[in-house]
Amino acid sequence: METLALIETLDRDGQPRQVLRVTQWPVRIGRAIDCDLVLDDPHVAAHHATLALREDGVHVEPAASLNGVRLGRAAIAPGSTPLLAPSSVMTFGATALRVRLAGEVLAPEQRLLDLLQYERRHAVTLMGLILFAALWQGFSLWLTTEPGIKGVALTGNFLSAPIGLIVWCALWSIGSMIFQRRFAFWAHLFVALKWLLIAVVAQAATAQLAFALSLPVVEKFGRVVFVGAVAMMIWHHLGLLLPSRRRAFAIAVGSAVAVSGGLLLIDRGMQQQPLVGDLYLGTISLPGVRIARTVSADAFVKSAAPLEKTLAGWAKPGDDDDPVEAGGDDD
Amino acid sequence: MIKARVPGVLERRRAEPDRAGKGADKGSGYHDPMPLTRLFRRRSARLLALLLSASLGAWAGATPPGVLQPAAPASPLAKPLPAASAPADDSAADDNANLSASARRIYDIGRPRLLQVRTLLRDQDSQASVGSGSLVGPDGLILTNYHVISQVALEPQRYRLNFQTVDGVTGALQLVAFDVVHDLALVRMAKPPAGVATRGLFEFRPASTPLAQGERIFSLGNPLDVGFVVVEGTYNGLVERSFLPQILFSGSLNPGMSGGPVLDDRGHIVGVNVATRRGSQQISFLVPAEFAQALIARSAKAKPIAGSVEAEMARQLLAHQQQLTSRFVALPWRETKHAHYSVPVPQEDFMRCWGSSNPTESKGLSFERSDCQMDTAIYINESLRTGDLAVRHEVYDGSKLGALRFAQEAGQSFRNEGMGRRTHDLTAPKCQEDFVENAGLPMRTVMCLRAYRHLPGLYDVAVLSQSVDAKTEGVQGRFDARGISFENAMLLARHYLQGFAWKRSP
Repeated sequence: METLALIETLDRDGQPRQVLRVTQWPVRIGRAIDCDLVLDDPHVAAHHATLALREDGVHVEPAASLNGVRLGRAAIAPGSTPLLAPSSVMTFGATALRVRLAGEVLAPEQRLLDLLQYERRHAVTLMGLILFAALWQGFSLWLTTEPGIKGVALTGNFLSAPIGLIVWCALWSIGSMIFQRRFAFWAHLFVALKWLLIAVVAQAATAQLAFALSLPVVEKFGRVVFVGAVAMMIWHHLGLLLPSRRRAFAIAVGSAVAVSGGLLLIDRGMQQQPLVGDLYLGTISLPGVRIARTVSADAFVKSAAPLEKTLAGWAKPGDDDDPVEAGGDDD
Repeated sequence: MIKARVPGVLERRRAEPDRAGKGADKGSGYHDPMPLTRLFRRRSARLLALLLSASLGAWAGATPPGVLQPAAPASPLAKPLPAASAPADDSAADDNANLSASARRIYDIGRPRLLQVRTLLRDQDSQASVGSGSLVGPDGLILTNYHVISQVALEPQRYRLNFQTVDGVTGALQLVAFDVVHDLALVRMAKPPAGVATRGLFEFRPASTPLAQGERIFSLGNPLDVGFVVVEGTYNGLVERSFLPQILFSGSLNPGMSGGPVLDDRGHIVGVNVATRRGSQQISFLVPAEFAQALIARSAKAKPIAGSVEAEMARQLLAHQQQLTSRFVALPWRETKHAHYSVPVPQEDFMRCWGSSNPTESKGLSFERSDCQMDTAIYINESLRTGDLAVRHEVYDGSKLGALRFAQEAGQSFRNEGMGRRTHDLTAPKCQEDFVENAGLPMRTVMCLRAYRHLPGLYDVAVLSQSVDAKTEGVQGRFDARGISFENAMLLARHYLQGFAWKRSP
C-alpha cells in the first residue's frame, strides 16, 4: 500500500522514537487503544485529535482535551482545524510529533561532520602546530627570563600555558561529547592551536614591523588581528559542537565581538584613551630592525605642535559634571 | 623604568631617609602641607582618635563641630588678656628677661590675633578641614595658607570659610587674595565682630634685621583641632636647593597649624607655617614673611573674590613656570661618566638627585639609575601638585643577556612607563613618538602632554627616550615638567633631547 505520510514521535533530542506509516486518512491519535496512533503519555486525552485529509491537504482536528494541541509553538484555538505544513511538529500533551507528508520537497543532503575524519585529515598539521607552539613557548620563556634560572621555576612557567590550553580544549570536548557523542579533543586542540598561533604570531610580527617602520598603527592592527583570531577560534569550536548552527554562531560571535568592542571603544573614547592599543608603541627591537629614519630633536618637537589643539579640545569645560566650572558667588 | 625584578631596589628606596614621593604617586612631592583635612582625618585620625580618646573623652569617634570649643578658654594657659594695644607691646617683651617664659610671653602677644580658619560644608556646620591664621589688617584681614582655603577657593558652591578666635569668637570669612605659588592667602571677616580693632595686629619683622641661624622662633596654630598651641623651635636659614624659598624650621608642625604665624622673640612675624617632611623629626617649613608682606601690600584693600579663581591661579602659575623654565634651560647639563652615552642630568641648583643600581651579582640586566627632582611642588588641591621638574635616567648593560633578551628587557622597561590618565584636573595624555637622533645617538622617543582642565594654558609634559643604537647596552631617560605652558613644554623637551649624545670610546 502506498505510504501517504509518516508520523514520528520524537524524543528529547528530536530523534524518532516511534514511527507510524499512514496508509489511509483520517488518523486518530490518543491514549485509547482504538486510536491509530496510541501515545503512552498521561498528558494526552483518550481521543486527543484526528488528522484528516481535505481538498487542500491534511488538517488537524483537535478533540476535547485538557492540554490541547500545539502546532509549532502556537496552541491551536478551540474549534479551529489548521492545515498541516510540510514537516510540521505538533505537541500533544508532553509528546512531540512530526508529520512528514508524501510528496514533500526534502531538504538537501547535509555533509556529515565526521570528527574522526576531521582529526585524521589534520593530524599532520596538528603535529606541526604542536611542535611550533612548543618552540614558540620555549623561545618566549627564554626571552623573558634572566640567564641562570633553572629547575622548578622554569618548568612551572613552561607548563602553565600548555596546561591552560589542555583544560580549554577538554572543556570544549565535553561540549562535543554532549552534542556529537564524541570527546573530540584533538579536533578542538587543532582549532585552538591554529588560531592562537595566528593571533600571537600576528601580534609579535606587527609589533616588530611597527618598530621597524616607526608606524604604531601597524601594531594596533596586530591587536585587531589578535582579537579577530580569538573570535574565529571560538566560532570554530562552536562549529565542531553543532555544525548545522554555524551561521547562527557566526552571527552570535560576531555580534558579541561587535558589542563588547563597541562598548570598549566608547569607554576609551570617553576616557580620552587611544581607541586601540597603548598610548605609545612599547616595542624596542634590535638596532638592525629599524628601517625608519630618525628625525632631529628640533623636528620632533615641531611635529608635536598639533597636540596643543587636540588637548585644548579635551580640556574644554562642560563635558562632565564638574562643579568647579560653575563659578562661585560671594560669601 | 625597570621594575623591581631585582630584589633590594624597592627596599632601598623605601629606606632612603628623605626621599621625595616617587613616580606616579609623587602627588604630594616633598612636603606634606599641613591643613587638617578630611583626608587626614579619614586615614590617621581614627588611630589618633583611639590614642586620644584614652586621655581626652572629647576626641572619641567622629569630631562634631564645637566639641573642642570650650577647650581653649578652659586651658590653664589662657589668661585674661591685657587690653591689647596695637601693635604688639614690645616694651613688655623686652622687660621680660626670663627666657623660659618666652613661649608663654609670645603666646600672650599672639593670643588675641590668632585664629583658627575652618572650611565648613556649605549647608552644614561640619568642618571639612581646619588651619590657622593671623590678624594682619585693621578690618579683620587674616593671613593664612592657600592650601587652608583651597577648597573654598576652588569650590565655593560646596564650602564656606569660618574663623574662631582663641577666646571663642566666631564668624564668616571671605576670600580676598591668594598667592598659590608661595601657598599664601588673605581672607577677611565678613562682619568684623565688635572689638576686633582692640585685638591689635601682627607686625612683620623688618627685612633689615634678618634672623641668624639658631635663633629661637615660635610657631602658633591649632594642631589637629585640639587647641591653640605655641611651639618653640629654631630658625635654620632657608632650605638648600629649593626653587621656592622656604625657611627650615626645626620644630614640630602638625596638621591644623597651617597658616599660623611664626614669631620672633619680639612677637613679629618671620614666616607662616606651611609644611613638614613626611617621616622626619622636626623638619618643618615656613613661607618667609616677605612673600606674605608682598601679598598684603598688593591686596590688603582688594574686594572679596566673587567669581572663579582659576584665571588668576593660571596667571600666577604661568608666571612661575616662565621663571622656572628660564632658570632651568640656562643651566648646562652635567657631565656623565658613561663610556658611550652623554645623558642629560641636571645641575643640583634647585634639584636633588639620587642614584641607585642593582646588585652586581645579578645575572640579568645591570642598570644604574639617577633620579633628580625638585623639592618644591605647588599645592593646588588634595590631588594636584604642580610647578616642578623631574629628570631621571637608567643606563643599562645587557651584556649578560645577549641582544634579543636585552631588546625584550629594554622594551619592557620602555613600555611600563606611566603617563597618567584623565582626572578631575587633567586631560588624558596625548603623545607624539618617533625615532629621534641627537649627536649621533638614535633614540625611540615619546613625548606625552596633558592639559589642565581648569587652568587654561597649563600642561604637564613627559619625554621618554630610549636609545636604539646598540645591541646590549642602552640608556633610557625621562623628563617630566608639571604646570608649564605649551611653548615651554616644547622648549624643555628640545632642551632635554639635545642633552643626549653618543660618545666615541676614549
